[in-house]
Amino acid sequence: MSVTGFPAAGQKPAAGRRDPHPETVAVVAPHLARRPRTGGVSTTRWFTPWLLLAPALIWLLVFSIWPSLNTIRMSFTNAKPLGGAERFVGLRNFIDILGDDQVVGALLNSVVFMVVCLPLLTILPLFIALLVEKKLPGIAFFRTAFYTPVIASAVVVALIWTFMLDDRGLVNGLAEALGILKEPLPFLTDRWLIIISAVSLVVWKGLGYYMIIYLAALGNVGRDLHEAAAMDGAGAFRRFLVVTLPAVRGAMLLIAILVCIAALRVFSEVYVMTGGTGGAGGEAMTMVMLIQQYSRGFTGDLGYASALSILMFFVTLVPMLILARINSRSDA
Amino acid sequence: MKTIRTPLAVGATVAAAVLLAGCSSGSGEPGSDADASGAIDGSITFQTWSLTPTYQQYFDDAIAAFEKEHPGAKVTLVDQPGDGYSDKILSQASTDSLPDVVNLPPDFALPLAAQDFLYDASTTTDMEATYVKGAVDAFRFAGLDGVYGYPWYLGTDVNYWNAEQFEKCGLDPEKYPTTTDELFDQAAVMASNCDDTYLISRMPGIGDFTLEGIDVLNEDGTEFVFNTPEAAAIIDRYAEAYANKEMPPSVLNADYLGNAQLFTEGKVAWTTGGASSINDFEKNNPSLKGNVKIGPALNISPLYVQGVSVAAHSKELSTAVAFAEFITNADNQNEFGHIANVFPSSLGSADDPYFSEPDGTPSGDARTTAFGSLQTAEVLQPYVVNDAMSTYLNQQIALAVRGDITGQEALDKAASKMNDLLARQ
Repeated sequence: MSVTGFPAAGQKPAAGRRDPHPETVAVVAPHLARRPRTGGVSTTRWFTPWLLLAPALIWLLVFSIWPSLNTIRMSFTNAKPLGGAERFVGLRNFIDILGDDQVVGALLNSVVFMVVCLPLLTILPLFIALLVEKKLPGIAFFRTAFYTPVIASAVVVALIWTFMLDDRGLVNGLAEALGILKEPLPFLTDRWLIIISAVSLVVWKGLGYYMIIYLAALGNVGRDLHEAAAMDGAGAFRRFLVVTLPAVRGAMLLIAILVCIAALRVFSEVYVMTGGTGGAGGEAMTMVMLIQQYSRGFTGDLGYASALSILMFFVTLVPMLILARINSRSDA
Repeated sequence: MKTIRTPLAVGATVAAAVLLAGCSSGSGEPGSDADASGAIDGSITFQTWSLTPTYQQYFDDAIAAFEKEHPGAKVTLVDQPGDGYSDKILSQASTDSLPDVVNLPPDFALPLAAQDFLYDASTTTDMEATYVKGAVDAFRFAGLDGVYGYPWYLGTDVNYWNAEQFEKCGLDPEKYPTTTDELFDQAAVMASNCDDTYLISRMPGIGDFTLEGIDVLNEDGTEFVFNTPEAAAIIDRYAEAYANKEMPPSVLNADYLGNAQLFTEGKVAWTTGGASSINDFEKNNPSLKGNVKIGPALNISPLYVQGVSVAAHSKELSTAVAFAEFITNADNQNEFGHIANVFPSSLGSADDPYFSEPDGTPSGDARTTAFGSLQTAEVLQPYVVNDAMSTYLNQQIALAVRGDITGQEALDKAASKMNDLLARQ
């Protein structure tokens, strides 16, 4: 008998002792009850764990696995929203993608967007977290201020930025009034200025969210480590490098992965800022905008849009694998 | 564990197979063999597009009159919001749950008719004897026999000019442009006299080619052929105006409603709009009251057609057909035209002086101007042009207007892409 009062493994309950789980025994089917027990706790029917898992499994199946499988299937067809004579087209959609200059442009925009966002949203929130983690009077105000943009709607924020960045908006008006600019900058019509504007918006809006993750990680860094490093003569910068950075490395990797995924999937910001057009010539269109363009409407090309989604999946996978590789090397 | 894994694996395989099979196209047979000559009774649903609560009373009265005429019939009105209506229709069709009678413009009706979701109205109704020919033709589609909608109300665009800005920028508001040449000439004068006011704030589109008599599609409707030097010249003219700062930079991102929004804000002196747009302008910017001149659209006026279609699989087909005929009959169309400032498509309605004689109000002027234009109005954009096609064309035109490529390059590229997309349909 174990010290807990439960029978030890392989040990029968002592005769005359009350079973600690009478209700469990009561629901065990007779044919199962006759099985030799291998554990101390009485067994249940074999499907009990599956029943407990069922809600999550069904959710996963219906909202994740099925749509994913369906997307793969549709990418090899000429599927249309209204059905009709859907047929297998082999690799045609993927071959068409290779010759589609819109895809090349959108892919470049999405990758540039990710490459610019990644360092900004991985490093800046750490510095902000380091600033606001200090226990100073009124510091809660700054924490709240940095977090406030996170709770605002992306569409509403993008609309406000659109008004500010318009050729007659606040930014251009102010710059012209101060004599910095003679002509308004085409923030909303030039390809790279649109990308930069959208990156600025995403960074401004995302800083607070990633700051919170860093704050949680910084809270786990023992003060004694900093004190020990200080006693060894390490300055503030050295302590940041040898104590703080290694301690938040896990959080940093998580943030980098989240930023990569979010940046490659950017849609609302660019869509709203360009009025849904992707800028002149659709030059600033991102991959998700392109997928939306092909899939919408009564005659949308779901097969092609699905093939684009598959491409997008693999594009998203690349930075994930690189980051995982970097992490495993660091661990080694 | 093995005993558990085996049924689980089999179950998962079966589930995946079922799900994959279930996600194949369509939801049963959309067509119907139901008879439209049966008794007019039972419950049907009538779906409108962004018409209530403004016209709720009209529809309540019309439905009550229909139900009184057919005591066994019950009509439920459902109104959908303006935004996302095509998505709503798409989801209804793909789940085989289209309302019995549904408000559809021809471009929405075409793909539904092609997939047998809509009832051929010409099988039970003499369309030509009931509605104006142009409106009936809008619901005839290449490659399909029949008419897939009951024409309802018609609309067209008129021009609105800001008289105050004309005067301020050295132009005579009584001599607003009546041709494209005059439009560009006056845009140049306005731009040279006023830094912050523009006359033109729209991008050329596929409709501009039709306006200039350029064929958009070949005769078979199988290939886009608008990439002609004449069409390129139209684009290049806009590009020249843009380069001369006669158009605002934001025009490159503008959609159809962009110029109306800028007109309402007082940033541009010209916009196109429907006959009822004047009410919106004056309501949203009271300073425009008394400052707006109204004239017919330049060249050919666009024809916008709204209709009601009957779902082919309606369980109460005879009632649905009867209601579609009822709501689009001359009396009901005239009454709706009076309250909504739109124009009836029923024969005989043209004699109504309400539409042809001005009443001295700006709204009345817009109505009579639009009604006059309607007699020669045309559908400017072929209904086969879908979102992806028009988006790509507009993107290429924007590049040309900005001066990155020539008009001809833009149109060649757009025509090539649009032909690819057409072939994929």
